[in-house]
Amino acid sequence: MPLFEISNLKRHYEMASGAVKALDGVDLVVEPGERIVLLGPSGSGKTTLLNCIAALDIPTDGGYTFESEPVPAKGSEKMTSFRRANIGYVFQFFNLLQDLTVLENILLIQELSGGRDVERAMDLLKLVGLSEEVNRFPSEISGGQQQRVAIARSLAKSPKLLLGDELTGNLDSETSSMVMEALIRACEAEQITTIMVTHDESMKKYATRLIRMDSGRIVSDERL
Amino acid sequence: MGLLLLKRLLRSLWRTRLRLVAVVLLVAIGVFAGVSFGAYGKTASTIYASIYSDTDDGVNLPDLWIESAGGAPWGEEQASNFCGELRASWNDLSGGLAACEPRLKVDGVMFWDDESGEPSVVSAIWHGIDEGEVHRVWMPEHEFVSGRLAAANDEVVIDSHAASMMEISVGDEVEIGAGSGRMTFSVVGVAFHADHLYFALPGSIMPATAGTFVTGYLTDEGLERLGGYSQGDANYLLLDIEGTPAYDLLSTEINEGEQLNTVLEGIRDEFGEPYGAMVYDRSGVESVEFLRADSEGAEKSYPVVTGMLAIVAGITIFLSLQRLILSQQREIAILRTLGVPKGSIMPGFILAPIVLGLIGVILGAILGLYVGAPMMMGVFEEMLGLPVVVGLSDFSFVWVNCSVAMVIAALSGIRPAFIAARLQPLEVLRSEHSVKLSYRWLQRFTHKLPPALALSLRSTIRKPMRLMFTFMGVGLSMLIFGSMQMMMDSIEDVTLGGMDRNIGWTAQVALGNQGDAPVVAWATDNNVEYERSIQLPFSVVGENKQLVATGLDQFSTDLDGSLSAITLSVGEMPAVSSTPLEVLVDEGTAHFLGWEVGSLGTVGFGASEVDVSVSGITTGEMARTMYFHRSDLEEVTGIPATSVLLAIPEGLDFSQDLGALSVGITEISGLRETFTTLMNQQQQFFNAILFLGVLIAIVVLFNTLLMNLSERDLELATLRVLGASIWRLGSMLLVEHLIIGVVGGILGAFISLYGAQAMIASSVQWAFFFKIEPNWTIIYSLITTVVVISVALVPFGMWRISKMELVEKVKTLG
Repeated sequence: MPLFEISNLKRHYEMASGAVKALDGVDLVVEPGERIVLLGPSGSGKTTLLNCIAALDIPTDGGYTFESEPVPAKGSEKMTSFRRANIGYVFQFFNLLQDLTVLENILLIQELSGGRDVERAMDLLKLVGLSEEVNRFPSEISGGQQQRVAIARSLAKSPKLLLGDELTGNLDSETSSMVMEALIRACEAEQITTIMVTHDESMKKYATRLIRMDSGRIVSDERL
Repeated sequence: MGLLLLKRLLRSLWRTRLRLVAVVLLVAIGVFAGVSFGAYGKTASTIYASIYSDTDDGVNLPDLWIESAGGAPWGEEQASNFCGELRASWNDLSGGLAACEPRLKVDGVMFWDDESGEPSVVSAIWHGIDEGEVHRVWMPEHEFVSGRLAAANDEVVIDSHAASMMEISVGDEVEIGAGSGRMTFSVVGVAFHADHLYFALPGSIMPATAGTFVTGYLTDEGLERLGGYSQGDANYLLLDIEGTPAYDLLSTEINEGEQLNTVLEGIRDEFGEPYGAMVYDRSGVESVEFLRADSEGAEKSYPVVTGMLAIVAGITIFLSLQRLILSQQREIAILRTLGVPKGSIMPGFILAPIVLGLIGVILGAILGLYVGAPMMMGVFEEMLGLPVVVGLSDFSFVWVNCSVAMVIAALSGIRPAFIAARLQPLEVLRSEHSVKLSYRWLQRFTHKLPPALALSLRSTIRKPMRLMFTFMGVGLSMLIFGSMQMMMDSIEDVTLGGMDRNIGWTAQVALGNQGDAPVVAWATDNNVEYERSIQLPFSVVGENKQLVATGLDQFSTDLDGSLSAITLSVGEMPAVSSTPLEVLVDEGTAHFLGWEVGSLGTVGFGASEVDVSVSGITTGEMARTMYFHRSDLEEVTGIPATSVLLAIPEGLDFSQDLGALSVGITEISGLRETFTTLMNQQQQFFNAILFLGVLIAIVVLFNTLLMNLSERDLELATLRVLGASIWRLGSMLLVEHLIIGVVGGILGAFISLYGAQAMIASSVQWAFFFKIEPNWTIIYSLITTVVVISVALVPFGMWRISKMELVEKVKTLG
C-alpha cells in the first residue's frame, strides 16, 4: 500500500497581477521507505508541494490521501493533529528552542505527543552522533550539530514521513554530508520515508528516487 | 532620506497599531485625570476666594476671630469697649483695622418631622446677622439660593445645604430653640454662610446628612429672643483687616502670616485674660480650613496623578520601542551597512514617542476640559452642595499636565533611540538567529522539570528588564485603585469601625444654659447609664492650631469600662489630678506637633493656660483631639460638662424630653447612617477610580504579553509545525501568564500599599489626618485582580497562535 497519494494537486494564489499557479496539477505516489529528493529551481513549487504534503497549506484543488485516508484540508487543529501523528519536519535554520538543552528539545516534542521517553531520546541522539552533547544548549553547539539535533527531534514521535526543506542550505559542504549521512542512518534505522527539498544537485546521491519540478509541475520522476 | 526612514519607521509602527492605541490611551487618560482634578482644585480655590472677598458678591470673611471662651456672651457695652480698646491699641503691622463687629452665634435645635413623619430634634447653630460689614450671609444668583435676609425678629434664613436635605423652602414655618423654649420662625430665605460652606457638625469632617444638622441666620433681635439673651450680647468679635493679610497655613512648615501672627499674639496677650477670649485666624475656622485643604489637595495631586499615569505610558512606549528595535535590528543593520549614519536612524525613534505623546496629550486635554472638568464641577456641586458661580480663568494647570506628560513620553524614546543608533551591523547580521538565553541559575533550577514547564519558566524570565518595567507599570496602576480601596477601607474602619469599637452611648445630649443637672436627673429617673463629658475647642500655646479638648469621666480601652472607649496605640491612660495634667493626644496631633509619650506642653483655654504631659497616644480619630479627665478639665475651664452621654435602652422615647433640656441631641444611629450614606455616595466615584486603575493594568499587561508572544513567533510556529496542539500551547501560555500575574500581583500589591501610605503621609494636613494600615483582604484582592487579568489574556494568545500563517512562517523558518 502506498504511504500517500496525490492526484492533480493544484495550489493557486490570487495576486494583484493575476493568479500564480504554484502547483499546477501534481500527481505523486510515494511508497514507504523511499528517500526522495525534490529538486528544482527557485519558484518551481517544491516548497509549496512540501507544505501541502505536511498539511501546512490547503490545496486549491486535487486529492491527497495518506495511508488511504483523506488528509484534512480545513480546520487548523485537524491539520495539526495529522502532522503530529504522521509528519516529522526539519527546517533550514534548525529552529531549536534556545532555552532548552539538546535533550530537552527532543523530550518536549515527545511531551507534545503525550509521551516522554528519555531512553528513546538518548537513542536518537546516539543515532545522530550527539550522545555527548545532551546537556548543551543550541547556542553552544555548531550548526551541523544543531541540524542533527533537529533531525533527532523530528524523529522523536516516530513519524511515518519526514520532510526537510533545504535542510543543508545553511551548512558548508562537509557539514552537509555529515548531516545527510546522519539523516539517512536515522531514517533507515527507524524505517521512515523521507522527502527532502533542495536546489543542490549534489544531494541526489542520497536519494532512492529523484523528482524534478518546474513551473508547478513534476517534470521528471526517476528511481535511482 | 530622513523622510524615507521616517516613513519606514511609521509603517513598522503601524503594524503594531493595537499597542500604539494602548500607549496613546494611557497618555490621554493621564492627562484627562490630571486636567479634571486640576480643574476641580483651581475652580474650588477661585470660588472660595470669590466668596470670601470684600465685594458686592462676596461675604467679606474676617481675618481674625475673637471668641468668648466657653461661648458665654459679652454684654453690649463690654463688646463695644472691647472693639474700642482694640482700635486704640491696634498694631498696623498687618494692615489697618477696617471693622470690628460683634456677633452672636449659639448652639440650638430645630424640631423637625423626619421623612417617616417621626418628630426629631436636629442639632443646630444659629447666627444673629443683620446686614453686617463682615462675615455676611452669601446669597449668589443661583438655583440653590432664594428669598432675602431676615429683617424681623421672627424670621430666619436657613442654610441651603440643610434646606435642600430637609426640604425646607421660603414661606415655611419652622420650630427652633436655643435653650429658651421652642419658637416658630418664618423661613424668608435659603442661603449660605462661610462658617458652613463645608456643611458638617462641629468637630466632624464628615458632611452632615438630612436631619442631623441645620444652621440658620436670624437678625440680632431674633437670636436674642430665641436664646433669651440681652440686646447687644455677643460671643464673637469679627475683625476685618485692610488688604486681607496672609495667614499661616496649617499645611506648610513655613509661616506665611508672620505679621498677622504677631498681631494675633498681641491681642491674645493683652485681651485674652481680661475678656476671657480666644483669638484665631482663618485656619481656626473648620469649614474655611477644610475647603482650603481640599482644594489645595486637589491642586497638589493633579501633577502627581498625571505623572504616575504618564510614567506607565512612558514605560509602555519604552518597551514597545525596544521590541520594535529588536524586530528591526536586521533592517537597521542593513541600513547601517549601506552607509546610513547614526544621526539619521535616531530621529525617528525620538520623534515616534513625541508624536504618540502629543496625540495622547491633545486627546486627554480636550476630554479633560470638556468632559472631565464639567463632571468634577458636578461632583463639587453635588458632594459639597456649593454653587459653581465662577468659571475657570487660569488654565495653567492644563499646561502643567500636558508638559509633564510630554516630557515623560519624549524621555521614554531616548534610550531606544540610542540603542538603535549604536547597533553594530556585523554583530547583528552574525547573531540574527540567536536568542538571548535565560540565566544559568534558572536553567539549573528548572532542568528537572518537564520540558514544557521549563520552557515556560525560562521564557518568562528571558527579558528581566521588560518584566521589571511591566511590574512597575502594573504596580503604579494598582497604586491608583489599590490606594483608593485602602483609603476607603481605612476611613470606614476609623468611622464605622471606630463607632462599633469605641462608642457605647446611644445619644449625646448637648447642654444649654440649664447645665447637666436636668439631663442627669432624667437619666437617673429613667435608669439610664450616663457619663458627663466636655468638648471644647482650644489651642496649644505657641502653635496656631485648634484642637478639641475632650474630657471623659472614665478612661477605658473597651466598652465594659466606659460609654466612650479609646484605642491606645502607645503609652498609658492618664492619671487624674496629676501635675502636670496627664493627657492623651491623637496620633495626628502627635505627628504634627512632634509629641511622643512623655512630651510636655502648655495649652490655653481662653485666658487660662495649663501644663500638660502626654501619657499616651490614641489612634482612630480624624479630628485633632486631646483627652483629659473631665474633672481636670472642669478645674481648668470652670465648665463641668458640655454634653452628657447616655446609653438609652431601646424603646425608651427621649427626644421630646431631652430636646427641651438641651441644645441638641446626636444619636449614634444617625451618625452611623450618616457615614454609611456618605460611603455609599462615594461608591460611584470610587468605582470610577477602580475601573481606571484596572483598565491601566489591563493595558500594561496586554502590551507586555503581546510583546512576549510576538517575540516567540519563531518558537511557537516551530512547535505548531511540529504538531503542537493549540491547547498544549495554551497550557504553556497559562503557566507563563500565571507566573507573571502572581509575581506582578504581589509586587504590585506591595507597591500599592507602600505607595498609598507614602501618598497619604505626604498629603495629610492638620485638618485631615489618618494612616493606611495593611488590609490583607484588599491585598489579596489586588493580587487576584492582576492574576485574573493576566490569565484572561491567555485566550487572546491562543487565538493569535491559531491565526498564525504557518505557510508564511515556514518560509521564514525554512
